[in-house]
Amino acid sequence: MNGCIVAFCCEHSAYPAADLAGKLRLHYPENLRVIRVPCAGRVDVIHILKAFENGAAAVLVLGCEDGACHHITGNTRAKERVKYCNMLLKEVKVDGRPVAMFNLSPNAPHKFVRAVNEITKIIKESGR
Amino acid sequence: MIIAERKPMEEIKQLIAPYKKVLVAGCGTCVTVCWAGGEKEVAILASQLKLARSAEGDKIVTLEATVDRQCEKEMVEELKDKVAEVEAVLSLACGAGVQTMAELFEDKPVLPAVNTTFIGMPEKEGLWVEMCGACGDCFLDRTGGICPIVRCAKGLLNGPCGGTRKGGKCEIDPEKDCAWVLIYRRLEKQGRLDLMREYYSPRNFRAVKRPGKVQAAKA
Amino acid sequence: METKIGVFLCNCGGAINNIDFDAVVKKVAKFPGVTYVNLSSNLCLKEGREKMISCIREENIERVVVAACSPEFQEHIFREVLEKAGLNGHLFSMANIREQCSWAHDGDVTMKAVELVKMAVNKVRLLQPVEKKELPVNREVLVLGGGFSAINTALQLSRVGLRTTLLEKEAALGTGPEELESFYGFDTGSMISAVEGDENIEVLTSAQMMAVEGKIGDFSVRIKKEGEEISRKYGAIVLATGYQTALALDSEPKLRAKDVAISGINIVSQEQFCRMLRNSSLETEPKTIGFMFDFSDENSRFTTLATLNNALEAKKKWGSEIYVFYKSVKVDSEGMEKLYQEARDCGVVFLKSEAPPRITAENGRVKIEAKDVFLGEDIILACDVLVAEELYLPAEGAENLSSLLSIRRDSRGFFQDENVHLYPVGSEKKGIFFIGGCRGDLDLGRVLADISSVVMKVHELLSSGKILVAVERVKADPQKCVACLTCIRVCPHGAIQLVRVDGSKEVAEISDLACDACGICAAICPAKAIEFQGYRDEEILAQIEAIQEL
Repeated sequence: MNGCIVAFCCEHSAYPAADLAGKLRLHYPENLRVIRVPCAGRVDVIHILKAFENGAAAVLVLGCEDGACHHITGNTRAKERVKYCNMLLKEVKVDGRPVAMFNLSPNAPHKFVRAVNEITKIIKESGR
Repeated sequence: MIIAERKPMEEIKQLIAPYKKVLVAGCGTCVTVCWAGGEKEVAILASQLKLARSAEGDKIVTLEATVDRQCEKEMVEELKDKVAEVEAVLSLACGAGVQTMAELFEDKPVLPAVNTTFIGMPEKEGLWVEMCGACGDCFLDRTGGICPIVRCAKGLLNGPCGGTRKGGKCEIDPEKDCAWVLIYRRLEKQGRLDLMREYYSPRNFRAVKRPGKVQAAKA
Repeated sequence: METKIGVFLCNCGGAINNIDFDAVVKKVAKFPGVTYVNLSSNLCLKEGREKMISCIREENIERVVVAACSPEFQEHIFREVLEKAGLNGHLFSMANIREQCSWAHDGDVTMKAVELVKMAVNKVRLLQPVEKKELPVNREVLVLGGGFSAINTALQLSRVGLRTTLLEKEAALGTGPEELESFYGFDTGSMISAVEGDENIEVLTSAQMMAVEGKIGDFSVRIKKEGEEISRKYGAIVLATGYQTALALDSEPKLRAKDVAISGINIVSQEQFCRMLRNSSLETEPKTIGFMFDFSDENSRFTTLATLNNALEAKKKWGSEIYVFYKSVKVDSEGMEKLYQEARDCGVVFLKSEAPPRITAENGRVKIEAKDVFLGEDIILACDVLVAEELYLPAEGAENLSSLLSIRRDSRGFFQDENVHLYPVGSEKKGIFFIGGCRGDLDLGRVLADISSVVMKVHELLSSGKILVAVERVKADPQKCVACLTCIRVCPHGAIQLVRVDGSKEVAEISDLACDACGICAAICPAKAIEFQGYRDEEILAQIEAIQEL
């Protein structure tokens, strides 16, 4: 899957935002693959690492806005795990692979598109 | 339970540097609960090693396995087929587990991936603190259930050193509570302060011969 | 033996027009396990669904993938189709080739569509069935509090046929600001009689909740009433425990509204001023009265209402000179604009200032100094009485209740009202609700709406005496669980507890009723003992593995 961006999208915020982006015909890079999760807090470190093992260029974790997680602490935990993942990747010197967390609400399709575009830019700049 | 901590990644990479096929072995008991060497940590470490080697233009094949208790010969025995396939074993168990594996599979290098640190308990989510020094001569009855050997920086047996800081903090480590202040307060609550008036002579640190042995009386 | 997977593609009546469906069908038919692939143009319509049901039956399909619009839209419809065709509704996965593929990119997206289908097929291959069951629940409701919100909630719950207990810690019902009566024109006395005469409502006064355990449909509550302990069970708990006020003054913030005089000058709360108005034997009628509001708390419409009402009444009763110092007069509540106009027409003077006025004592009167925004000048007023601004704070005992119920409070200490997903009356635990002042909401119109909202929700949950649940959708395997207590501590919905199995071992058990299917426990379990059907590690990893080179 060289070149794909794997995006874990929470069903309460990012997934509907992505749907809305489609409805509004807001375009973003085609190499995005969305995996729907019930809460950003379900995403675990091994899921992110396996995505890279399989050749992903970057991993996005998208959840609800701060203080507005449907399950209260899910988005905070996701953020901590993404930070931990970045540390693990740095340890083995593969930190050129970006993992990032974005917060958004279900009615913010432009934020979704912005997140995808931002991470795409980072990939291009790191020369992958 | 036993608390362990994963070794720095640089050290682990050096340990497995000569090998191309490795079994990453976890343990389902203590190290699982303290998030150092359970099934999840095995998977994460294996993944990291694969990513690392691949970034160096090289390769490593990893097998993953976690047994309930790596310090039990019968349980470790079950790994023999996997061990036969690899060049070395990277164990995430405590020292007891590593040595059990090493004893059963004498022909393979068994490498420790974690540092076994202490006997402790969780203070809050993700934070484990040392509680017991395994001194072999427990006298927690006299200190209201608080161990000064481990929790007092100087390991004193007869009250505070006199250097206790304001707020009941330790002279040596201002982040730490003075164990003897804690002991005093605990005994006060229980109405057993008279215990603090008794003098306890210097401990016999040879109570535990190394390596320790305990033979149970019953069959 | 490979399970038979059927893939149903849909072009959404032609709305998906940048995918070469023939190519997709060819590729998908080759995926391991796929025994049937078909393209429709309106799969979700009645005809499409009926055709799907017969296909599933005729082709002996065991698992289904639908590649069409977003699952947010139609997932439940297709799960029903599976059930009608005799399959467990959970053996289903959807590939979003419309909103997140066809509509999101320019040009031909056939390759991405194929991959999205492969991800869904990989997942569906591993899915396990989840059964549904009806669990019995307790139909009685506990309402904590004895003021306006609590009383009206109990009355409405009774009207929909649910038995309620009103639990009030004071000796009598109806405790709350008296000014509510004159402002809103209702009669506390008749409300209380209605409650006391209602056979569906049990009133327990001088009673407090000491402990609460359990989950929605099955809360066990221990109550202490005048030294006696009572144990009860309820299906839902509603908190209507109110609020308290404190005077907000620059000089001494957070004075209790009960304090009367400061340094011998007359500074009162709205409630005290109401009492002055009602006091027929008042010694001297104040000739000059000052009001101030909207400086410390910009959210409370209740203070605006109180000020306008009190100012008007004082004007009519005593004919005093009345000056209102404000930052903004927010009239976005029912009837407020009219009231404001009435006050001005009566001769109440409104003075706008940016900063809170300075309050001092001078010759036994209250001196107020503020810079008027419109005049651009300093105004100095000496008045007989100042009705000071009040802060609305969580009631005493809110902290205790919060820890009894293990429910968070928001940044102001009120019960959770800042999370839009739980808004307006929910909490992070199913079956526990908040209304009115304890939620920081003091606008009568909104409170009434919230009461109806809670009653509707509780009725929906409990009225039939049964709740339909997914059985063991999230489950901790007792063989693998090491009882480390991590999941119990992190579950945001309080749905997990330690239970004894096989007579000796203690393991974590997740309640099907209370679980809200977030998966936080599944992610954090260090022993990987928790399986969340549909989102197990292998099911997520299978989707990742399906993604190939573009």
